[in-house]
Amino acid sequence: VSYLWHQLSSAVTLIVHGDPELKSLLSVTLRLAAVSTTAAVIIGLPIGAALGLGRFRGRRALQLLANVSLALPPVVVGVVLLIFILPQGPFGSLRIEFTIKAMYIAQTILALPYIVALTAAAIQGQAVGVTDQARALGATRIQLAALALREAKIGVLAAIIAAVGATVSEVGAVVIVGGNIQGQTESLASALLAEFTFSPNNPEETATALLLLAVVVVLLGTLTVLQQRTGQLRLRFRGT
Amino acid sequence: MRVVVNEFRAAIPLIWHGDPYLLQIIGFTLQVAAIATSIATVIGVPIGLALGLGRFRGRTVLRILANASLGLPPALVGAALYLLFSVPAPLGSLELLSTRKVVFIAQTILALPFTVALTAAAIEGLPEGLLVQARALGAGRLEVAVLAAREARVGMIVAIIAALGTSLSEVAAIAILGGNIYGYNQTLASATLFEVNRGAFPGALAIAIVLMAMIVVLMGSVALLQHRSGGLRLRFRTAT
Repeated sequence: VSYLWHQLSSAVTLIVHGDPELKSLLSVTLRLAAVSTTAAVIIGLPIGAALGLGRFRGRRALQLLANVSLALPPVVVGVVLLIFILPQGPFGSLRIEFTIKAMYIAQTILALPYIVALTAAAIQGQAVGVTDQARALGATRIQLAALALREAKIGVLAAIIAAVGATVSEVGAVVIVGGNIQGQTESLASALLAEFTFSPNNPEETATALLLLAVVVVLLGTLTVLQQRTGQLRLRFRGT
Repeated sequence: MRVVVNEFRAAIPLIWHGDPYLLQIIGFTLQVAAIATSIATVIGVPIGLALGLGRFRGRTVLRILANASLGLPPALVGAALYLLFSVPAPLGSLELLSTRKVVFIAQTILALPFTVALTAAAIEGLPEGLLVQARALGAGRLEVAVLAAREARVGMIVAIIAALGTSLSEVAAIAILGGNIYGYNQTLASATLFEVNRGAFPGALAIAIVLMAMIVVLMGSVALLQHRSGGLRLRFRTAT
C-alpha cells in the first residue's frame, strides 16, 4: 500500500507543478472534446430533429442506422478513415494524416451517432400534443424544430454529455489516425495506452490517469448539474 | 479511391481463406466476450434488480455511481488496475499482467456498469402499479424480484447485449493490462490497433471487417428484439 501511496503523491506533485508534458496532453484532450462535440452538435442536431419530427420515407431505417452506429467500434472508424487520408488515398492531398485535424474528424464521426440518436429519442419522448398544436397553428418546419428542441432540451443535453464522455475517453480511433505523437496528437487517454509503464521512477503515468479522472469528473459533472437544473430527468427504457 | 478498393481487395481473401492468425483472434474474442458478459450478468443483474427495486438508504447514491461508471474511460480503468496488479503493489503477487486472465478481468469490470445500470433502469421503467400490487398481494422479496425481472426482460437483454458490445470493441484497458501480445491475448479490436501500428493495412482491415460484422449482427438482434416487443426504445423521460 505504501507503494500506491508513493505513486499517488508523486503524481499529485507533478500535476501541481504544471508538468509541460501533462499540459500538452490536457490541451489536446480538451481541444478534441470541444471541437468534435461542437461539430457533432452542429451536424447532428438538425438530423436528430428531422428524425424525431419528420414523417418522411426511410425515417425508421435512418433511425435504426443511427442507433446501430452508437455501437461503432472506434478502431474500425480509425482504420477506415486512415486509409482514406493516407497520402495515396482519395483525401491524401489534404495531408491531415497523423495530425490533430484527423483526430477531430474521427471523434466527430464517433460522437455524431450519440447526438443524432439521443436527440431523436428525446424529441419522440415529448408529449405529442405540443408539436401537433404548433403544427395546427401553422408553425413552419424550422419553428417546429426549434420548439421541439427547446422542449426536449434535457434530452439534448444528455446527448451532449454522452458525446463529450465518448470524445474524452475513446482511444481506438484517435491513436490510429493521430499516430499518438508526443506533444502533438497525444491525449490523456491515448497517452495511457501508449506508454503504460508505471514505476516509482516514473510518476508521469499515474499523473496522467489522475488528470484524466479529474477531466471526466469535472466536465461530465458540470454538464450533469447544468442538465439537472433544467429539470428532473432520468435515463429510462420505456415501452410504448 | 482505387487505393481504398485495393486495400479492401487485399483484406477479403484473408477472411475468406481463414487466415490462422485471424481465426485465433476470433476465437479469443468470442471467449472474452462470453466469459466477461456471463460473469458481468451473474454479478450485475442481481445488483441492478436490488437497485431498481430496493428502498434502502443510499440507493440513490449507488444509482448515481452506477450511471457514472458507465462514463468511466476504459484507459483509466486499465491504468488503475495496472497500478494494483504491478509487482510492488498489493495484488502484484498474483502475476496477472500480460496474461489472458487479466483481459477477462478487465472486460468483466468494464461490462459490469452496463448490466447493473441498464437493468436498474429497465426495472424503474416498469409501470409502478404492477410491483405495488404484487407487494400488496403479499409477494415476498424474491417473488417481486422474479416478477420484475420477467416483466423487464427485454430491457435486461438489451443491457446484456450492450455489455457484449463493449467487450467486443474495447481496446484501451486490455491493451494496457494484457500488453496486446501477438496471437496470445489479442481481441479483434486490439489486434486491429496492432496491425495498423505495424503498417499491415490489409490485415487490419480484415480484422476490422470481422469485428464490424459481429457488431452489426449484435445490434441487429437488439433492433429486432425491440421491434418485436412493441417498439421498446431507449428514451429519455422526464420524471413526473
